[in-house]
Amino acid sequence: MRRIGLVVALLAVVPGAARAELQETPFFEQDVTGGKLSRLHERLPSDPAVAGLETVGNPGGELRMLMSGPKDTRMMVVYGYARLVGYTPALKLLPDILAAVDVQDGRVFTLRLRSGHKWSDGHPFTSEDFRYWFEDVAQNSQLSPSGLPVTLMVQGELPRFEVLDETTIRYTWTRPNPLFLPALAGADPLYIYCPSHYLKQFHEKFADKAALESLVKKSNQRNWAALHARMDTMYRNDNPNLPSLEPWVLKTKPPSDRFIFERNPYYYRIDDAGHQLPYIDRVVMSIADSKIIPAKTGAGESDLQARYLRFDNYTFLKNSAERNKYSVRLWRTGPGSQLALYPNLNVNDETWRALMRDLRFRRALSLAVNRHEINQAIYFGLAIEGQNTLLPQSPLYEPDYRSASANFDLREANRLLDEIGLTKRDAEGMRLLPDNRPLEIIVENSGESTEQSDVLELIRDSWRHIGIRLFAKPLQLTLFRRRVFSGETLMSIDKGIENGLATAAMPPWEFAPTSQQQLQWPKWGQYYETKGKSGEAPDLHSAVRLKELYDDWLGTALQPDQSRIWHAMLQIWADKIFSIGTVAGVLQPIVVSDRLHNVPEEGFYNWDPGAFFGIFKPDTFWLDPSDTSAKSAAAGISPPMQP
Amino acid sequence: MHRILIMIPTLIAISIVIFIIINLPQGNYFTTYIAELQESGEPADLAKIHFLETEYGFDRPLWEQYLFWVGGLLRGDLGYSFSYNLPVAKVVGDRLFLTFLVSFTTIVFTYLVAFPIGVYSATHQYSWMDHCLTLVGFLGLATPSFLFALVLLYLANVYFGISIGGLMDPQYIDQPWTWGKIFSVLAHIWIPVIVIGTAGTASMIRRLRANLLDELQKQYVVTARAKGLPPLRALFKYPLRMALNPFISDIGSLLPHIISGAAIVSVVMSLPTTGPMLLEALRSQDMYLAGSFLMFMSFLTVIGVFVSDLALAVLDPRIRLQAGRRR
Repeated sequence: MRRIGLVVALLAVVPGAARAELQETPFFEQDVTGGKLSRLHERLPSDPAVAGLETVGNPGGELRMLMSGPKDTRMMVVYGYARLVGYTPALKLLPDILAAVDVQDGRVFTLRLRSGHKWSDGHPFTSEDFRYWFEDVAQNSQLSPSGLPVTLMVQGELPRFEVLDETTIRYTWTRPNPLFLPALAGADPLYIYCPSHYLKQFHEKFADKAALESLVKKSNQRNWAALHARMDTMYRNDNPNLPSLEPWVLKTKPPSDRFIFERNPYYYRIDDAGHQLPYIDRVVMSIADSKIIPAKTGAGESDLQARYLRFDNYTFLKNSAERNKYSVRLWRTGPGSQLALYPNLNVNDETWRALMRDLRFRRALSLAVNRHEINQAIYFGLAIEGQNTLLPQSPLYEPDYRSASANFDLREANRLLDEIGLTKRDAEGMRLLPDNRPLEIIVENSGESTEQSDVLELIRDSWRHIGIRLFAKPLQLTLFRRRVFSGETLMSIDKGIENGLATAAMPPWEFAPTSQQQLQWPKWGQYYETKGKSGEAPDLHSAVRLKELYDDWLGTALQPDQSRIWHAMLQIWADKIFSIGTVAGVLQPIVVSDRLHNVPEEGFYNWDPGAFFGIFKPDTFWLDPSDTSAKSAAAGISPPMQP
Repeated sequence: MHRILIMIPTLIAISIVIFIIINLPQGNYFTTYIAELQESGEPADLAKIHFLETEYGFDRPLWEQYLFWVGGLLRGDLGYSFSYNLPVAKVVGDRLFLTFLVSFTTIVFTYLVAFPIGVYSATHQYSWMDHCLTLVGFLGLATPSFLFALVLLYLANVYFGISIGGLMDPQYIDQPWTWGKIFSVLAHIWIPVIVIGTAGTASMIRRLRANLLDELQKQYVVTARAKGLPPLRALFKYPLRMALNPFISDIGSLLPHIISGAAIVSVVMSLPTTGPMLLEALRSQDMYLAGSFLMFMSFLTVIGVFVSDLALAVLDPRIRLQAGRRR
């Protein structure tokens, strides 16, 4: 027994000796000397994660951000990006909260925690937190009526879950589960653990019955399950009492118009100089209407802002950058196309459906989109023209995927349409459908931005030249989706594929009919999602093929195979033009205060992978202490008005 | 008594209408929420949402949901707000005070400005000052208030360094009231007050002027003047009182106005008042928050109308219900 203790002690000391001495954070100094908080080396895991940084920063300061609603408290979980495994900016998947992950055959996952890692309230973070979630939350019929999350089910099969010791957990499937690790690294991650010591007081199985009853009453919930769900908001992040592993912890009890997040004293990362991260003591999130956020940002009221800023705010922001001491950076966004047209292959009208499924028709439409004009007129020529597919940053990118049928060629488009037999024309020279209805395409959109109508305006002009009329029809968001799903919509315009940066290890689900949300084949997607209970089975050869390839991908764990499947899918996608892309990589303005450091000059702004700022680890951003006082005084109380 | 009793069916009718209208758009809070999440690229946790849907009875028939809601209202339970994840009373409560403050200041501002101008331009009809003030009034009426708000915000930020939007500097939010906080509120409140006030002021000037002009031409005024009553007394004693009737009947709509604030201006200036909250609740179909809040406002309107009826009856004997019956 004694020997084991010694070995553990040695292990704890050795990595420490290699580093610079640990330095207590000024923010906590008083609490530590006052005995309210244990010393830094007791708070850190015995093998903390070390951030290799270009510049070592100074701890302290307060970062201001603007958000539009109380629901946005979840953005701190996204930006914080403390995940079991996480992506690096080079899109490598590495252990983060975990000390190590061991994967065998893509189906046996052994996760090893950092020993001595603690929740933000100082309670140890152990395999019990995983067991509690797996057995008492995810498999409790009241808390999770639909059972385990789909990513944990491989063809309906539950994993075998084992606790090997206090810091080691193993999940075993009989088949590979390539979705598992990417899900853990998501911007909205799959949480397979939760603070069990805190949540047990709300769980029927563990809590004292009378005490739980009174808690349920007091919080106005219907039963213990609702109360548990209300308290267990790791992603939503609106419960200040919920222990967390994130760099900053919510301190303000909602509702409020100003949320304060304070540094987590038990955070697991340090820098080379022995500072515990995050550098920044406090993040202050002020709530304002999303439409006023660009104006407030321009007035210097945010130190780090990208959310709710749009490319067309750039000039305005740049204009007041000097006066309010910030810089505006432009990062590329990640969607495969800023906006893409989705011909609805499941449209109810039979004549139209036949036409939409005719590859020649889709190709003609694509050839008649003048992407260069859209780029120049709306995006100052800064975007990347082409189809709705992966971006050049992706290791799977090939120029052909993007440029296939993406050139502007009205003659070829007209020839294709004639070849289909759409030769009848009305008095104005516009084409007619075979049943003599005018060939008018109504493009529905969610009416969220003027950008959509601007782009449609340009496409309408060029489509006139191939004898097709385009009408834009903005709809309320929910209604818009409903109409697409039910097959009433002929064509829609929306964001392109979400993840234009994919690597071979990321699931290619967006390229196969797998979800109702895919506006070009909502019914096929629904069929997949509901396992055939509703929707329609895909009956177009290439779509069936895409689905098969996707299933193949799910069954493989080997990188070369994954890569081969990805390319096969991308090739079909390029050949068959299931959605018509416009431009991609539109720039996102990022406003960074001059006193904020370590924010990369060049980056990409993407939801998943990326978690917006998360992938660049905002716990390493630091504030210049030299002008803190001057700045906060200026930003604080407004100068008195002149009499 | 009669008036009080008639309030009950009115309120029931209102509650039904509110409930139906809120439920008219397809879907419910959760479907809207899913759509919004997916629009921004975030996958929604469908299992959790399904759990919440059954938990809050969205799978039951509408009339059952209605009875559940009204039953709660009668017991003083306003329901649960999904987007805030809190009881409605808690969400609304925090905002009421500031809304009240802004609206009350605005009303005082409106009265202070509108009354003298209205009286002046009626007594000096077609003088050049009348024309000037009328022009200003029309400008106030014609300028869209949100535009005016934006212009003022910009100027206030650039010249006075006042933070854009909101009712106080950010560091005072959620802090106890101190002198610093009060000054900060004072420095911010004038913009919304002027913006919300101008439109009201302008229309009030016009109404007062028109009413007063009507009265001034009546024979009793001529008689009073002929009898040598001092001009001010001849103005204030009778014609001005008569011209006031419309304002008193306005009290009815004033009460809910105080609570709701001017929604659009508040949204533009991102004031922490109830207006933007209601708008957001309606947009996201946060059923109980929107419904209970609208119900609360209707209740205030009904009370307000009742009060103004009483006040009118006190001030003007011609209007009393009973009076007609007795004759």
